[in-house]
Amino acid sequence: MFLTRSEYDRGVNTFSPEGRLFQVEYALEAIKLGSTTVGISTKEGVVLGVEKRVQSSLLESSSIEKIMEIDRHLGAAMSGLTADARTMIEHARVTSQNHAFTYDEEIKVESATQAVCDLALRFGESTEDDEAMMSRPFGVALLIAGIDEKGPQLYHADPSGTFVRYDAKAIGSGSEGAQGELQDKYRKDMSLKEASILTLRVLKQVMEEKLDENNVQLATVVPRVAKDGRPSGQFAIMPVEELKKVIEEM
Amino acid sequence: MSDITTLNGGSCIAFKGKNCVAIACDLRLGNQALTVACNRDKVFKITDKTYLGMTGLASDVDTLRSAFRYRLNMYRMKEEREIEPETFAHLVSSTLYEKRFGPYFIEPIIAGLNSNNEPFIAAADLIGCLNFAKDFVVTGTASDKLFGMAEGLWEPDLGPEELFESISQALLGALERDALSGWGAIVRVITPDKVIERTLQSRQD
Amino acid sequence: MLGLQPGSSTVVPTSAPVGHRFEPYDSNGGSIAAVCGKDFCIIASDTRQSTGYSIQTRYKPKVFRLNDKATLATNGFAADAEAMVSRIRQRLEWYRHSHGRSMPLHAIARMISTILYGKRFFPYYVYNILGGLDEEGKGAVYSFDPVGSYEREFCRAAGAAQSLIQPFLDNQIMFKNQHSTPEHTVPKPGEMSLPDVLKIVMDSFTSATERHIEVGDGLEMFVVRTPPSAQGEAIGAASVDLKAMGGVEAVGGEDEQEEGAVMVIRRELKKD
Repeated sequence: MFLTRSEYDRGVNTFSPEGRLFQVEYALEAIKLGSTTVGISTKEGVVLGVEKRVQSSLLESSSIEKIMEIDRHLGAAMSGLTADARTMIEHARVTSQNHAFTYDEEIKVESATQAVCDLALRFGESTEDDEAMMSRPFGVALLIAGIDEKGPQLYHADPSGTFVRYDAKAIGSGSEGAQGELQDKYRKDMSLKEASILTLRVLKQVMEEKLDENNVQLATVVPRVAKDGRPSGQFAIMPVEELKKVIEEM
Repeated sequence: MSDITTLNGGSCIAFKGKNCVAIACDLRLGNQALTVACNRDKVFKITDKTYLGMTGLASDVDTLRSAFRYRLNMYRMKEEREIEPETFAHLVSSTLYEKRFGPYFIEPIIAGLNSNNEPFIAAADLIGCLNFAKDFVVTGTASDKLFGMAEGLWEPDLGPEELFESISQALLGALERDALSGWGAIVRVITPDKVIERTLQSRQD
Repeated sequence: MLGLQPGSSTVVPTSAPVGHRFEPYDSNGGSIAAVCGKDFCIIASDTRQSTGYSIQTRYKPKVFRLNDKATLATNGFAADAEAMVSRIRQRLEWYRHSHGRSMPLHAIARMISTILYGKRFFPYYVYNILGGLDEEGKGAVYSFDPVGSYEREFCRAAGAAQSLIQPFLDNQIMFKNQHSTPEHTVPKPGEMSLPDVLKIVMDSFTSATERHIEVGDGLEMFVVRTPPSAQGEAIGAASVDLKAMGGVEAVGGEDEQEEGAVMVIRRELKKD
């Protein structure tokens, strides 16, 4: 595919004669270069785990932010061009707050994911125009975790604007191996604790460095009741001390 | 804004019952939004069995109270008998109409039992146009609320105690929705042999 | 037309130019009220529409079914009310398409508030009362001012006869100024039965009709409840036979309606 580059590589709005959008496909490639990110959904909640590539001993590992809160009941983990993810998460946050302001209720996980994917597809809009906001597709994929009235959910959203729901999903450079491992080990009746440990085990297998509390990060969404009485979730990034304990238990 | 008829606030209501009538008023005296006093009775004894309630401009209420006392004394001396409520209503009407082009800013209601102990109630506008109602009459800043309450609560042939209960509920209900009336109320039930007078507590706001 | 004065050569105008100003608002009279119970809500209005002293029509509904759990009563300027209801229904449909379910009552309430406040400087001249069932299936009433301030209550009256009806509801629904005695316990607000509340609502409107010129002609009482079929054995409000009281299925609204969820009972009011 890379050998057959043509003029269809350039315009993000132009299909190749074979019906492909190369720029979108390249964006999907960019994710495969990103660090590994894992998400597991259980009856007790959802876990997100990321690998933080600490490239230098002088690097402050806590400044690497790959899991972010969208709303109280929603979180996202990213892989790929993390700078792009900020734009997407900012959009999800605004959408979520807007929903709460307008409807006095928490947005559903799927609706928040849909909002992110709507944004992902805006790269084609009026590229010639002054108002053009995006010149290329996002180079990042998100795992969006949350709990709403439909229970705990995990979504995978990619640069093509597609989103799919998973019980367990891995993205990024180690995703192939990681996904295989998840396929083997995932059980529907897992506890959240077991899911956290599985997340770490999977990350450990695909990471080059030795896994410790500085080069991984975990986050959970656990059940909570919203003020209108509906099931909802509470997102939290796991504190380092707690993470350390889970790693020890692994 | 500077409406003279609602300057001081206050409301009155009268119910007709079976061989009895009831008349009630709130106790507030205000100066626009400021409450000045909460002991201002707006119902006055005319005879043992006839009472007059006046709402509107407080100074005119005072003036008219004196005017009516004068005229009642004259009537009593000339006629050597107590005035009938029906007659008193016409006295009120003509007194008010005398000031047709510079009226007193009050609207009166009258309640009483005549010499045959038949219940009588009436109301008038500020220039004395009489309204002989069969059921109830209202006046004051809460008049629209009193109409709503009375139209829903009043029923024919109520005895003194039932009449007291329903007029009290009607008045208190209306007072709570009127900022210019309230701060307590006085209810009088006039029966052939006595007048039952009760002071009601209500919200102080 | 210009006239010439006899014996004069100057032209004297016989009429001055008439200026016209666009008046964007009118007030169309009428009254609305809503009362909720444990498992139902009644939303009522008269059907007269007037401007000044003229009656435009004796039948113009002011209550609109939104979905199985929400009904909206509007009062004030009828044209604004109609435009607003269309907008609300459109938003409800959009919401259902993007979120896969009907909008719950408290969300509709908040949305109406934002729609109204969105026109803070050219308001919809409409007083709204939203009635229906909340997410626990309990009756609920939300009342609004024209610029979106809102509150959940047990009962509310609005419109021309608000001052007549509201104190009556305070007394009969909220039991204000009523105290329990050893012989008689005053019930808690919002626990009255459906037939009892219907009677109070009818009394409220007949009273208002009697004393207010803008109220009359017809009465529409919408009843929102969990439909009888949705329960095994009909209990509470669902067991009341509204059809026997002349109730018919309410039409209109954003969703596909379930039978018996929203019904309307019509009554005549005095026409003078």
